[in-house]
Amino acid sequence: MSQSIKLEVVTPERPVFSAEVAEVQFPTAARGYYGILPGHTPLMTEVGDGLLYYIRDGQKHWLTVFGGFAEVGPDRVTILARESETVDMIDLEQVEAQRQRALKLLKEAHTEHDLATAQAALDASLIRLQAAGHPAGHGF
Amino acid sequence: MAGLQDIRRRIRSVKNTQQVTKAMKMISAVKLRKSQERLVALRPYAGKMMEVVRRVVSRIKGDSEIQPGPAAQAFLSPREEKRIRVVLVASDKGLCGGFNANVLKAANTFVAETTAEIVHLDVVGKRAAEWARKRQLTAAGEYLGIPLAGFQRVVTEISEGAAAQYHAGEIDALYVIYNYFNSPMSQTPTVFRVFPMELDRRAEGREALEVSHLLEPDPNSVLETLLPRFVETELLRNLLESSASEHGARMAAMDKASNNAGEMIAKLTLTMNKIRQAGITNQIIEIVSGANA
Repeated sequence: MSQSIKLEVVTPERPVFSAEVAEVQFPTAARGYYGILPGHTPLMTEVGDGLLYYIRDGQKHWLTVFGGFAEVGPDRVTILARESETVDMIDLEQVEAQRQRALKLLKEAHTEHDLATAQAALDASLIRLQAAGHPAGHGF
Repeated sequence: MAGLQDIRRRIRSVKNTQQVTKAMKMISAVKLRKSQERLVALRPYAGKMMEVVRRVVSRIKGDSEIQPGPAAQAFLSPREEKRIRVVLVASDKGLCGGFNANVLKAANTFVAETTAEIVHLDVVGKRAAEWARKRQLTAAGEYLGIPLAGFQRVVTEISEGAAAQYHAGEIDALYVIYNYFNSPMSQTPTVFRVFPMELDRRAEGREALEVSHLLEPDPNSVLETLLPRFVETELLRNLLESSASEHGARMAAMDKASNNAGEMIAKLTLTMNKIRQAGITNQIIEIVSGANA
C-alpha cells in the first residue's frame, strides 16, 4: 500500500492544488471534520465550508474550501470545491473589507434571508483570515 | 482614363474594409482568449466531476440495497425517450464562417432523425432563435445576448428547470447541441446527452473490482446534491465551448477576409498600373507619330 495520498483540489475557476501528501483533513457538510490517512476506505461526501489541512514533508499547510464534494480512495483525495484558495491566493485587505461589509450587513439585516447571507459572508471572511493566520480569524 | 479613377476608388474602399476585418480579428482574438481561459480552467473540474459521478453511479447500480431518489433515477434507470428537452447553442452575431451553419445543420439532422418528441426547446443566441422561427418551432426559453458572466445564471435556470421536468415526468432526456472547441481554428458540431448519463461499459467493469464507496451521510443525499451540480457543470462547459468556438471561428473568418482583401488590393493595383502605363504608351506613340509626320 502506498504511503502517500494524491490530494487534488479543483474549482470551476481553476485547479487549486495537486500534490502527494501524507495526511489530509477536510470539513464535511454533515459530519464535522474528516481526517484521511493513506489506505482510507473509498468514500464520497459533501464538503462544508472551512479549513482543509494537509501534511507534507512533516509540515502542516492550510487551504480554504467552500462547499462541493470530496471523493476519497485508498491513495487519493479529490475535492471538487465550489470555491477554494491556498494561503497565497488570499488577499488580506480584500478579506478584511469583506469582513467589515458582512458585519455591517449583519447589523442592518431584517429578514431571515438577509441575516443568513450576511452570516455566511462573515463566516467565509473569518475562515480566510484564519487560513492566513490573521488574529481576527482566531477564536472563530 | 475613366477606368483609372474607378479603380482608385475601389482600392480605397477595399482598404477600408480590410481595416474593419483586421480590427474584428483583433477583437475576436481578445474575446477568444477570455472564453478559452475560462474553458481551460473549467475542463479539469468538469473532467473530475464526470469521473466521480461515473464511479458513484456505477457503484450504486451494482447495489440493490440502495433505493435511489428522483434525481438519481435520471442517471440510473433511463426511461424510454419519448419526450425530450433540447438546448441549441449558436451565436448572436454572424461573420464567423461556418460556425452557425454547421451547428444548425447538426440541429436539422437531429430534429429529422430523432424519434422522440421535442417538448421543450431552449435557444441560446439570436441565430438559434432565428432558426427555430424559420422551422416553426416554438422556443420555450430564449437566451439572447448573454455575456460570459451571465452563463452561470442561464445554466442554473436550465438545469433546475430540466430536473424538475424530469421529476414531473414531462421529459425523459436533456440534449445539448453546440460547437465543441477543438482549437481556435477548428470546431465540431456536437450533440450531447446530459442525462440520462451514458456509462462506459468498460469503466463499469473496471470499477466493479474496486471496493465500493461509502456515501456519507447517506447515498441519496449525496446523489441529490451531486447530480444537479454535474448537470450544471456540463451545461456550463458546453456554453463555454460554444463561446470559445464562436470567437475562434470569427477570428479565422476575419483573418481570411483580411488576406483576401490584401490579394484584391494587389490585383487592383496591378490593373491600375497597367492602365496607367497603357495611357502613357499611347501618348508617347501619339507624340512620336506626330513628330514623324
